[in-house]
Amino acid sequence: MNYEWNVSIDKAILNNAPNVNKILEDNPYIKETAKELRSKKLDVLGNIDFYIDKTEESVKRSGGNFHFAKDSSEAMEIVKGIIKNNKNIVLSKSNVLYEIKLREELSKLGKDVWETDLGEYLVQINNDMPSHLIAPAIHLSKERISKLLNENLDKSINENTSVEDMVKAVRKFLMEKYLASEVGITGANAISADTGSVLLIENEGNIRMDTVLPGIHIAITGIDKIVPTLKDAFNEVIVQASYAGFYPPTYINVTSGPSATGDIELQKVSPATGPREFHLIVIDNGRKEAINSDLRESLLCIRCGRCYFSCPAYKYYGKDFGDSPYTGPTGIMWSAVTAKKYDKSLLCMHSGGCKEVCPMDINIPEMIEKIKFRYTDK
Amino acid sequence: MDDDTLNRILKMKNMVFENLMESYLPFPIDKKYYSSWTDKLPKDGDTVIYTSYMYQISGILKRYEKLFPKISNINVPKRLMGLSKFLIKPGESEIKRSFSIMNNIVNILQKNHINFGYLYDDEPYSGAILLESGFLKEFMEYGNKLNDFFKSRGIKRIITLDPHTTNALKRLKTMINFDIDVKNYIELINFNGSGEYVIHDSCLYSRAMDMYGLIRDKINKSGIKINENYLTTSKDMGTCCGGPLSLISVNDSDEIAKLRSEKLLKINNNVLVMCPLCYQNLSPHVENIKDLAEVIS
Repeated sequence: MNYEWNVSIDKAILNNAPNVNKILEDNPYIKETAKELRSKKLDVLGNIDFYIDKTEESVKRSGGNFHFAKDSSEAMEIVKGIIKNNKNIVLSKSNVLYEIKLREELSKLGKDVWETDLGEYLVQINNDMPSHLIAPAIHLSKERISKLLNENLDKSINENTSVEDMVKAVRKFLMEKYLASEVGITGANAISADTGSVLLIENEGNIRMDTVLPGIHIAITGIDKIVPTLKDAFNEVIVQASYAGFYPPTYINVTSGPSATGDIELQKVSPATGPREFHLIVIDNGRKEAINSDLRESLLCIRCGRCYFSCPAYKYYGKDFGDSPYTGPTGIMWSAVTAKKYDKSLLCMHSGGCKEVCPMDINIPEMIEKIKFRYTDK
Repeated sequence: MDDDTLNRILKMKNMVFENLMESYLPFPIDKKYYSSWTDKLPKDGDTVIYTSYMYQISGILKRYEKLFPKISNINVPKRLMGLSKFLIKPGESEIKRSFSIMNNIVNILQKNHINFGYLYDDEPYSGAILLESGFLKEFMEYGNKLNDFFKSRGIKRIITLDPHTTNALKRLKTMINFDIDVKNYIELINFNGSGEYVIHDSCLYSRAMDMYGLIRDKINKSGIKINENYLTTSKDMGTCCGGPLSLISVNDSDEIAKLRSEKLLKINNNVLVMCPLCYQNLSPHVENIKDLAEVIS
């Protein structure tokens, strides 16, 4: 038994679960919105090629570039083609970036690549992998983090340093990286097919920097993030933030093409202050195959991460319950969909709390049961 | 998951499935002994009480689970496996307790004017272990055999006593042409009780079969007082006793049981369960633990 993990996970649950419950009680519209979102996402899954085409048209209409990648290597080739000789790259937290091993691949090419989400930055300097979809560093205690920052960032930081001062030191370091960056790479919390907009939700402000300061913004995400309309995309980010325990979210970023201005005689000119190039890469990586299988419902997941805290296997095994970045109950589904990894499903006890708290009402235990079957049907 | 674990699981699947298809039992057990808890119920009938041997053998399952890796490594011949039914038996107090629980359930059902028979040592096992391990193809194949068996005995309604059996039969309805009515005894009875407890829910009853509210309504009406805590006993946050994991790792299963027990004991020293496997998993860590059927009348 890992006592450090037990303490960390208990603290995380205590800080998060009652808070999410209160958000949902105080704002009953969110549950209704989640129901509506489920039906919209089911519509997309039933007509995925139509919605991918529609997204492509919309992105191009707004002056952006659209790319479809069937797998990780295709996605990486597209990224390399866009980045060319640019060296300084900032990243925002995204599980799809891990899925395609983006940071690893770009580092091999000698690029200066930095995670800008605080938790992801800590995971990066720890040469580690995330332990939770939206809280990647919950397995690290304050003491462990102070040691990491001391060794990797600032020798004056020690276990007596306040959390505020630790955050300040990271902020100072990252600010230099933002200002030097030539390319910002993000994921997407939702994509609207009707406008080609990418919606990103956050609290730290790093995504705002990543998407505005560099000359090139690349958003990479799975085809499962497409929803029919901009309204649905807003619904998705609000539902995701609420079920993750962040309501109201500090920032919702909407990107529809590169920066532009119409301030001189209302003539639209691009670029303006922000990026001159915007690229959206949507990746399949097993998702279409899953849509056409008995795992279709898995793709409704909006990755709020709430199911983790209701799961006895995650509480006990931590990130070993899954294949990081896809851990926890939902991670078992995503690992099956994107990597055909099925083995960790055997650790699921079908406790069922994941289903109870899922905003998309996914029958996660039954999905995992089917994944167990895939693993043991030999 | 390493190859050894997978091979062990696959051997278990094959062994359990073969046994079930041959004898309606996952492994050899002394059916006469385990069905001797009553001789007062009519044999057969269109409604039967169905134990699936769960209360009777729950005390020895852990020993089988510990034994299984050894059996799978040395390929013990079937005739020797058969001997285990005489070698692995619950202690006298364990078996008395399980017989008493089942008799109490019978009494309460009868008080609630419900009539039923019992298949005695003809009773088959439900196949729950196949379902819960993800052996879906084998579960459905055995389910068809089970369906034929029940039909051949003219059974139209089955009254189950534990969550694993109830869940297995209810899931069969969604997977094959299994149209026999399945009711769990808690659904059918009103009862009286006393005392103050924290409930450790059966995951299958409360979440998989959505009985969380029904169980609390009935217990609250009975006179039993329940202590609740959102993080430990709510439908959202309550978690498993670790039991189902024991086929993969007995040690991890026990660690999870210990962690679960610590959380429950912070709320009340008296823990109430509704599943024989939850009882087995938690009882090493909880001194005052009772099955619902031990505290109601």
